[in-house]
Amino acid sequence: MTQVLATYNIKGGVGKTSAAVNLAYLAARENNNVLLWDLDPQGASTFLFRVKPKVKGGGRKLVRGKSEVEALIKGTDHERLDLLPADFSYRHMDLALDSTKNPTRRLAKLLKPLAGDYDYVFLDCPPSISLVSESVFEAADALLVPLVPATLSSRTYDQLRRVVAENGDGPSLLAFFSMFDRRKRLHREVMDELWEGNGSVLQAGIPAAADVERMGVRRDAVAAFAPRSRAAKAYEELWREVRESL
Amino acid sequence: MNGAQYLLPDGLRLGAAREALAAQTGLLEDGSRSRVERVFYDTFDGRLHAAGLALVQTDGRLSLMGIDAYGERASAPFDRAPERLLARDLPAGRLRDQLAPLLDVRALTPIARTRSQLLGLRMLNGDDKTVVRLVCESCTAQGPGRGLTKLHSRVHVLPVRGYEAAAERLKEQLEKKVGLVRAPAPLHDEAVAIAGGIPGGLPPTLDLPLRPTQRADAAAVQVLQRLLSTIEVNLPGTLGDVDTEFLHDLRVAVRRTRALQRELRGVFAPEPLARFRAGFRWLQEITGPTRDLDVYLLDFDRFREVLPGSLGGDLDPLAEVLTDERKRAQRKMARALCSDRAATLLADWSAYLEELVQSPVDDRPDARTPIGELAGDRIQKVYRQMLKRGRAVEQASPAEALHDLRKQGKELRYLLEFFAVLYPDDVVRPMVKRLKSLQDVLGSFQDSEVQAGMLLAHREAVGARENGAAALMAMGLLVDRLERDQLAARAEFGKCFASFAASRQRELVEATFG
Repeated sequence: MTQVLATYNIKGGVGKTSAAVNLAYLAARENNNVLLWDLDPQGASTFLFRVKPKVKGGGRKLVRGKSEVEALIKGTDHERLDLLPADFSYRHMDLALDSTKNPTRRLAKLLKPLAGDYDYVFLDCPPSISLVSESVFEAADALLVPLVPATLSSRTYDQLRRVVAENGDGPSLLAFFSMFDRRKRLHREVMDELWEGNGSVLQAGIPAAADVERMGVRRDAVAAFAPRSRAAKAYEELWREVRESL
Repeated sequence: MNGAQYLLPDGLRLGAAREALAAQTGLLEDGSRSRVERVFYDTFDGRLHAAGLALVQTDGRLSLMGIDAYGERASAPFDRAPERLLARDLPAGRLRDQLAPLLDVRALTPIARTRSQLLGLRMLNGDDKTVVRLVCESCTAQGPGRGLTKLHSRVHVLPVRGYEAAAERLKEQLEKKVGLVRAPAPLHDEAVAIAGGIPGGLPPTLDLPLRPTQRADAAAVQVLQRLLSTIEVNLPGTLGDVDTEFLHDLRVAVRRTRALQRELRGVFAPEPLARFRAGFRWLQEITGPTRDLDVYLLDFDRFREVLPGSLGGDLDPLAEVLTDERKRAQRKMARALCSDRAATLLADWSAYLEELVQSPVDDRPDARTPIGELAGDRIQKVYRQMLKRGRAVEQASPAEALHDLRKQGKELRYLLEFFAVLYPDDVVRPMVKRLKSLQDVLGSFQDSEVQAGMLLAHREAVGARENGAAALMAMGLLVDRLERDQLAARAEFGKCFASFAASRQRELVEATFG
């Protein structure tokens, strides 16, 4: 059965795309068939996989079911890892969704025909709370939530938990620390506090690392271009824990 | 996706091939050089091949690929290469989900073994993105005596999803600029042929070039020789108990042989015919019990499903009894099939068929009759007999009346299938369809009766088992259900028979076969 995992946070710049790209790569390396759907109009994961950020017919046609999803998928440089690219028109995806019959069920419906083809589908989501995110909550089996250990992250995370809880039978929440620096006291304190107070924050996390930043230059997953790096090992740990939590 | 395989010139080493390709097309080596040993699997009747697929065990995995290239559809960890694999032996997941409907009850067996050296290449676009993958392969395949034969080295072109146009352009370059030629057959097929197999399995049993004016004995020999070869090729799989279809196909071929011996009796001399008819009847009898038990066990899930709630599980003692009984039946059947009697029967029948057309015709009155005439006459007669029998069936008729009609229906079906090529397709096809609907109803009637009989016959053995009492209760419910099914089939009979016996159908039979 296909598992749908969405990297999501209300805030931007917290490591969603890096997580989506690296975890998708690692899942494919384990011989799973994997699709990454770049839902963010900025198209960062699309850029990282060297694919043109263009979807024939744009987001509106796709969301309304007028385009064949299968025909829009691109193979990446890695075997078994495919990408459904971003398109700048995704910035209006809320409007496009709103014009459909069951907007919050829409993404799940679009993914349905792909169920036989993929073991994992990763959704790389734009930062916001919107109709797109509601539709993501409906489609996803789990939300992977990167948390930067700052004073407000606990509050943001609580907000997200409430929103997901409102959806009733929503996805499970798998939060992990991202871009942290154990040398910083504040980071250590926030992390310990959240671990103690909250069972759903994973033990594995992704430290702030130059190798992660270099992804933009190398245009690939860290685990592919620097497999022995600390960052690659951290993503491997994270993937192991995510997989075991599903 | 359209993959393709190209042959590399003889004697060209992989490194040299890469340089030649790179110079002409700008391909890059992707650094992956590897050695792989593969075991290819398919069913005896080539179901994967027919679906354009190949199943390969290599490097601790079982992978389902496109046969024309190496595009993987699904895979799962699997570190053994067993001699037999049924759908239920496959790891749960996408691989099994994709294979199970294709395999049904058929087993996968190794059909080829290869050893290869691989060299990966790729083509990039302006963004340094891989748009086509290539694999150069130098391969040896294992023959029946385990000796190795070198195959033509080749290049596999593997399109990347969404960049098919680039693969098409590269293929054109490989053909026009580099001068490579397409491999006439996939590597898989070459390896299967070297292992002594037929890529895609055996051709269909009854696809023979008969002519209406042909002597009836010559036509009969053609059909019967094909049936004999079906019996012979299914014998090893039956003896090895590879899957239930070997025995099924063997028995169908025996039954068809017997039908032809009966229906075209005038093309054979009476004495040898009587001997061979007795011999094939014996073959049918010794293979019957195992097949019956196969059918019960294949149907077992349906038995469980028709029982209410969780009662399906109560049937476990019955499943155990039937499985034990089947083991014994299989052993007994294997002994009989390995006997001198069986070997002599098949060898003598083969020799007899070989010489039949040259043998005297004095006591073979139909030998020289054109087959179109003789087969038409038989089809017409059997059809008329069925009409007579079917019309005589009433609500109060015994079950045997329907059984006999079904047996005759099989005979007619075989005649139509053997000789379909002699008559207009638009007559034969709808007639077979109507006959099939009738046979399905008659089959369902008889199956219900036979299965109820089986349940009753096993009461004692099941009752003696642990949890036997609950099983007996469940079996009682099943018998009840089967009796209802049988009544329903009987009610259905009238409608199907009316369509089979309709005046339009009768006229067509008279006009076509008369």
